[in-house]
Amino acid sequence: MATTDRHLATGPEPAALGSRVRGFLGAIPTWVLWFFVIIWTVPTLGLFINSFRTRDAQRNFGWWMFWQDGAHGYGGLTLQNYRDVLGSEATGGLANGLLNSAAIAIVATIIPIAIAAFAAYAFAWIDFKGRDWLFIATVALLAVPSQVALIPLLQMYAGGAHLTIPLIAKTVTVFPDLDLAGTIPAVWLTHTGFALPFAIFLLHNYMSGLPGDIFESARIDGADHFTIFWRLVVPLSIPVLAAFTIFQFLWTWNDYLIALTMIGGNREALPATVVVASLAGEFGLREHLLTAGAFVITVVPMAVFFSLQRFFVRGITAGSVKG
Amino acid sequence: MKRFRIVLLVLVAFALVAAACSSSSEETTTTAAEGAEATTTTAAPATTTTAGGGETTTTEAMASLEGTTVTVFGPESSDEEAGAMQDALDVFAAANGMTIVYTGARDFSDQINAQAAGGNPPDIAIFPQPGKLADFAREGYILPLPDDVTATVTANWPEAFVSFGNVDGVQYGVPNKADIKSLVWYDTNAFEENGYGIPQTLDELWALSDQMVANGQTPWCVGIESGPATGWPFTDWVEDMTLRLQGADYYDQWVAGEIKFSDPAMVDIWQTIIDLWNKPGYVYAAGGSIASTPFGDNGQPLVDGDCMMHRQASFYSAFLPEGTPTGPGGIDVFYFPAGPDGTKPVLGGGTLAAAFDDRPEVWAVMNYYASPEYSNERQIAQQARKGGQLSGYLSANKNMDLNVFLPLEQTMIDIMLNAEVLRFDGSDLMPAAVGAGTFWTEGTSAVNGDETVEEAVANIDASWPSS
Amino acid sequence: MDRVIATAVGIIAAVGVSAIVFIGANKVFDLAPRRWSLFSSLIGGASSLLVFGLLWGNRLIEEPVAVTAAALVVGVAAGYALSRTSDRTVHLVIGVTSGVILGGLLGFFFNSEYLPAIEPLGLVVSIGVGFALGAALWASRGRRASIVRSLLLWGSMGWLFGAWLLPTLGEGSRIESIVAGVVLGAGVGAWVGTFPLPDHKMKESISSGSRKFIFLIPALGFVLMTLVIPLIRTFWLGFLTGTPTHLTWAGFSNYVSIVTDPGIIDFSDWTDMFTSRLMIAGVLVLLIGFAVARVSGKRLGQTFGLTGGSLSAIAAGVILVGFAVFAAVRGTISNNLWWIFAVTIFSTGMGLAIAVLSDRSKGESVAKSMIFMPMAISFVGASIIWRFMYIARPPQKTQTGVMNAVWIKLGEWSNSPTATAVILGILALVLVGILFIAWRGRRAHMPAITAGAVVAALPIVWLIYRFLGPGLGGFQVIEATGQTIGQPILFLQEAPFNNFWMMVVLIWIQTGFAMVILSAAIKAVPTELIEASRIDGASESQVFWRITIPQVSPTIGVVVTTLVVTVLKVFDIPKVMTNGNFGTQVLANEMWQRAFTELNFGLGSAIAIVLFLGVLPIMWMNIRRMQKERAAH
Repeated sequence: MATTDRHLATGPEPAALGSRVRGFLGAIPTWVLWFFVIIWTVPTLGLFINSFRTRDAQRNFGWWMFWQDGAHGYGGLTLQNYRDVLGSEATGGLANGLLNSAAIAIVATIIPIAIAAFAAYAFAWIDFKGRDWLFIATVALLAVPSQVALIPLLQMYAGGAHLTIPLIAKTVTVFPDLDLAGTIPAVWLTHTGFALPFAIFLLHNYMSGLPGDIFESARIDGADHFTIFWRLVVPLSIPVLAAFTIFQFLWTWNDYLIALTMIGGNREALPATVVVASLAGEFGLREHLLTAGAFVITVVPMAVFFSLQRFFVRGITAGSVKG
Repeated sequence: MKRFRIVLLVLVAFALVAAACSSSSEETTTTAAEGAEATTTTAAPATTTTAGGGETTTTEAMASLEGTTVTVFGPESSDEEAGAMQDALDVFAAANGMTIVYTGARDFSDQINAQAAGGNPPDIAIFPQPGKLADFAREGYILPLPDDVTATVTANWPEAFVSFGNVDGVQYGVPNKADIKSLVWYDTNAFEENGYGIPQTLDELWALSDQMVANGQTPWCVGIESGPATGWPFTDWVEDMTLRLQGADYYDQWVAGEIKFSDPAMVDIWQTIIDLWNKPGYVYAAGGSIASTPFGDNGQPLVDGDCMMHRQASFYSAFLPEGTPTGPGGIDVFYFPAGPDGTKPVLGGGTLAAAFDDRPEVWAVMNYYASPEYSNERQIAQQARKGGQLSGYLSANKNMDLNVFLPLEQTMIDIMLNAEVLRFDGSDLMPAAVGAGTFWTEGTSAVNGDETVEEAVANIDASWPSS
Repeated sequence: MDRVIATAVGIIAAVGVSAIVFIGANKVFDLAPRRWSLFSSLIGGASSLLVFGLLWGNRLIEEPVAVTAAALVVGVAAGYALSRTSDRTVHLVIGVTSGVILGGLLGFFFNSEYLPAIEPLGLVVSIGVGFALGAALWASRGRRASIVRSLLLWGSMGWLFGAWLLPTLGEGSRIESIVAGVVLGAGVGAWVGTFPLPDHKMKESISSGSRKFIFLIPALGFVLMTLVIPLIRTFWLGFLTGTPTHLTWAGFSNYVSIVTDPGIIDFSDWTDMFTSRLMIAGVLVLLIGFAVARVSGKRLGQTFGLTGGSLSAIAAGVILVGFAVFAAVRGTISNNLWWIFAVTIFSTGMGLAIAVLSDRSKGESVAKSMIFMPMAISFVGASIIWRFMYIARPPQKTQTGVMNAVWIKLGEWSNSPTATAVILGILALVLVGILFIAWRGRRAHMPAITAGAVVAALPIVWLIYRFLGPGLGGFQVIEATGQTIGQPILFLQEAPFNNFWMMVVLIWIQTGFAMVILSAAIKAVPTELIEASRIDGASESQVFWRITIPQVSPTIGVVVTTLVVTVLKVFDIPKVMTNGNFGTQVLANEMWQRAFTELNFGLGSAIAIVLFLGVLPIMWMNIRRMQKERAAH
């Protein structure tokens, strides 16, 4: 109603003026967006510039004054920080760390996605008794602060899990002592478990929005659940799978605590985040190296993001099919 | 379908129950995790040690180390420190055909807890806090030293450093590194130009400060900002002053919690420090900004002459601007002067190695840590990594080769070796809730003027764990 | 290079094995309707492999490789034989025979250190209990199935318990273990052998009915291992006290000490909230918001018209009031709630705003990538970055942190007449511009624009007031000399707003997350819907509020849920930036400090349980709501 009123009320001249206002207003989103972008980028930019400056320069003058470093007597921009970081040998060295990070992140991304996709499909499209409750219980585990699980899991990896049955005092080995503590598979298992509630939540949310009639007709044509899952659900879920791939990869790549706890003193298996954090030393003496270190470890996740970004394009998400 | 499900379930149940037939007397796995009660094989307290461990000098023992591996975990993680540690260990490893791997992590203190409780400890851990070492000894996580290693420790280290690794009369720790905190950094040239002498007593120190202010100079650089640990430089001041004004016995009782922070003498010490810091013109980064000055940022003003003196530990050498000349003719240190009674107490720090596993090769490495050779090799390696500058490593090993240290470092070692009274940094000995918590934060509040000293000490006392 | 190859092989092996297991399981159950005998053999083999594998894992059999291999062969043979005949007697014979062989294997090769010493009385009692249970279950299931089978199964279970679990292991003889094994095998074998013969329909239902297990078991297994069991353990530990190796029962004392901890919540200064500037500003903005809403509501004939402008004003007011409350009521709980409040609102709001804005702007993908970038930066990196932003240096020195540099520059400007004049001029121009927009909006009958402009004008007016009056930015005047020097802010040390400065870091990171998810949802809004309403003459903001928002609201639910959970568990940022000092403690860091730094597992676990119970209702409500929404679709 209001819109019709407006058309009636405004004559030709105000309408022209209004369109000019609207043209002006139309540009506002772009301005505001780029304002946000600048604010968001400033901290990273500062880190980036500092990564090329000497310790004393970083400490005495802001990064925006980097072009005066030479004049202040701290030397000009330098690649020394990067050289120090890449040439570091403490904690196994950065090259080794990056390799371990890749080994951790790739497996700890693929396996939880696959497992969560199966489970999300089952929760969304296979009918069985108690399905809703099981789903809620699984997703509610998102609320578990994962730190509480670190020590029990480490105990299990270090010595297996043994359950003593009360009353008859017999001990059963539920999980054998595979000597996993200090190895990368221990990190895989941990990440996989911790990732599942959120992954199932996200994927289920998406998969249950997929059009059921397609599956119904496929089932009438004799397709079983595995075929439907593999031939229909997975291709239709590419956007959400891509989104979760990005998140999970970033989390596992950037994880510090789980990897350090599970791997502990096994220097050969520690990921890049631990290597870079250790560069700074006990009292943060060489903290200036972290600038360069942070950038080196950010390169890979950025590449992953850019390569998967195209999956977020208009029209391939569930809603469009639904509509 | 339903039947089939039951079959499956029953088969699984059958399998599980059959598996339950195992006996609890399984010797191979002592890790019986029932709920929380978890013990680890390595954690079993072994009061007696196997023979042959630690006899590194005999060829027989060396042969037995061939092909073995020992893992060491510690807080020193930077390239210089961790690298030099590894270099020094490699010397021993190469001589014995064994492998020693050192891993450093910044989160060592939390991580070693997780590793020990999780049943995955390293063979040897390097503890920066004797308090934590004592906790681990009482938990049964770490093992007492065999007699021969203890003998090496007592033969090479001053009594005070040996005692840091002693828990309830049993020796667990081997000193690995020593820091000295009772130091004042100053610019020798500035002192010479102004004709200032090195103060020998606290009164002389205060008089010198007054004289500097009268000459238009700022005597002190103080900064206590250190990220999440902001406030610790203040605690060092308090500890040093307590040792001087109240003596070692008082200090020990205070650290043990038997004397409260709200004790009038302790309040006096706090007030003295804060009054000194708040006197107009006495401190560079004056007043409320002490809390915002990163402790590491005081090297530059000292070199620039913005302030004349900076009380800070031996490792501060690493925070001086690059290329700063040290020792006579550059930035040097003097001993933070003695108190009214004339005794020369020293506030120290350092790290201690302790073993989690009872194997001959582990004790061999522990024995090496106690030896003068380790201190020498570590210093040589660390100095080389620093390009011949101050290494940041110090040792109080009585039998090491002093010539591998620079003159300034020798001064510091000399102070440690000749200390009449040497005490470990008290905040590292107090419960973590205080020593790494309220002592820092309430101290910062008092320095900032957000709280009175009385309020601050009352809050610390309230936070002392009751058990 | 060797390391690279070894790593690559490890990755491929891990992924490959997982894929083979899953696809293999699906393929095996695909076989059921078509190739029953192959399926039956595989299941027979797999079952005996599972049983003997578990025994092997518990080191209970001697010669484990040979025995397990033999058991596998027997299992496969039995499965195959069962599928080839439809004679019930032959079935029973096959079942019992294979059961006896397997039981014999078990008994004969049972680890000689653990041979059971059977006690006749206990055995008889437990078989009796087994039979009783079997009969009871049979009766409770409506007596449909065969009572013989129920008794067989539960009798065997009774035997299992009486012969294997009850006795002392290690004191018996080989004869006893063989008897114990053979009888058990015969019982279970007879039970298997008396299965009703499968018809085609049953085979079909086995194939399809097993799918939910195949699809769910991997996930549930992992969740059980990594979350459920540790959670139960944590719950148990919460009632204990002491050090890890000396734990004793403590009842509820851990929970009591959490509740009575003075740091948990502190109301001592709560009245401050009513006098704080934040509260005044918040109430003012709220009033304006409601006034605008009333005005636009009148036009629509409603009490309140919630347009974009009024909603933004109300939201801003709520945020300001919330901050005033959280800044006055201190303590760990208050901090946690403040984190949830601020991070969830700002991240979702700004993520949505950026998603919408970028949808209509040039250089969308570049802009989105820049906003998303913090997500890719490790937490080590983020903490360094923001330490650089917040760092404060003595007033005499140049500031190296952006925030303090800007703050002190502002202070300098507001004390310099020239700079003040220039800034006031610029501000006045901006104000005029905004008022012009407001006026045009009024003329064009677009109240939303007017309201938006008025709200946008408020901060400008405030800035003008500050520059004219008390001044803005970091400076202090030394009274003796009248000299002005800079006064930096200790962003991370000055309570209570240091909390907010740490939240900024998480907002900076999580906005990218919200943006990516919401942007995908916005792009999924059917174009036809939007086109249609545009043709109907709806303005952009109407399209947004009436079409886009309802369409993406389920996704907003997902984002909010995720954020709330993430924020409540926030741990890294407080740990690295202040370690909970200076009044910034949060529950997750408190838990970490108690459990990991001080090795007080009891108290740490109790805090974890409190945290878990705190998040649970939020999770619960959200999931239920989302499921209802789905059901309504």
